[in-house]
Amino acid sequence: MTISVAPGPDTQEGIRTGTAESTDSLTAPDIPWNLVIWNDPVNLMSYVSYVFQSYFGYAESKANKLMMEVHKKGRSIVASGSKEQVERHAVAMHGFGLWATVEKASGGPGGSAGRSGGPGQGKGKRG
Amino acid sequence: MAKAFKYGLKGITGYLEPAERDLLRSLIADVISMLQPEDRTGQDPLAALIGLDMDVAEPTDRAVKRLLPNVVKDDGAASLEFRQLTERSLRETKIGALRAAALDLDKDEVVLTPDGARHWSMALNDVRLVLAERLDIRDEADAEHVHRMQDWSQAEDVESYLALVYNFTTWLQESLVQAMLQSMETRR
Repeated sequence: MTISVAPGPDTQEGIRTGTAESTDSLTAPDIPWNLVIWNDPVNLMSYVSYVFQSYFGYAESKANKLMMEVHKKGRSIVASGSKEQVERHAVAMHGFGLWATVEKASGGPGGSAGRSGGPGQGKGKRG
Repeated sequence: MAKAFKYGLKGITGYLEPAERDLLRSLIADVISMLQPEDRTGQDPLAALIGLDMDVAEPTDRAVKRLLPNVVKDDGAASLEFRQLTERSLRETKIGALRAAALDLDKDEVVLTPDGARHWSMALNDVRLVLAERLDIRDEADAEHVHRMQDWSQAEDVESYLALVYNFTTWLQESLVQAMLQSMETRR
């Protein structure tokens, strides 16, 4: 179990690789992508909060808030970043058994991306 | 009767009866067999070496699909492209956690390192996801219905037996995660 004091996914260990940055600059330099976690009736609330705390290094209060948003609203944006970063998070979430998808920060499926509540919204919305 | 996991001086510990360990072992083996990538002899060895899998397809079994979900909602093509790059290693991550958990099942008392606990929580979660698909748990009401099955004397058919097994693994995972959260809090 990794415990990081990192404030957010941007400082998550192992994300800033040379490949990531060069790929980003080739594709979408300033279009953020969101990592969305979807509600399901199986995953335990405690487990979802544990994953948010241990993987993203979120404080317990932030992890619980995001977990409750998933539970009550059906989905929550739990991290934002480059496409490569959020895809990496998505694989990690799938490893934990959470139901995660990635979407462009604006005009994502269902038009609900970029809504308030999750971290990292409000920056660079466009489209 | 199993004892809930707890966090103490020895780390995270739990206690399981031999029959419960046999049950968990067979559940874990089932999930591993679902995740085992097919042996494709014709595959490009270099591609296989770096984890690429160009022959991958969206799983047809709902339980497998829940373990290996699409990464882009309503976009099969983008999700498939992502699978080609990541699915093989995701399968290996999951199998690794399941195997690690199975290895801890040789004694009544289960003593877990922080890594061991993480593997156990992931393994129990995957086992529960598969059981939930078999039990057709689609929403909170279904989950609540299954949750009401708590008495082993009620086990009269496959479905009620599966429900009891699901509730046992849920209880076990909940107690484990509570112990893990407690251990994280202590180390902060």
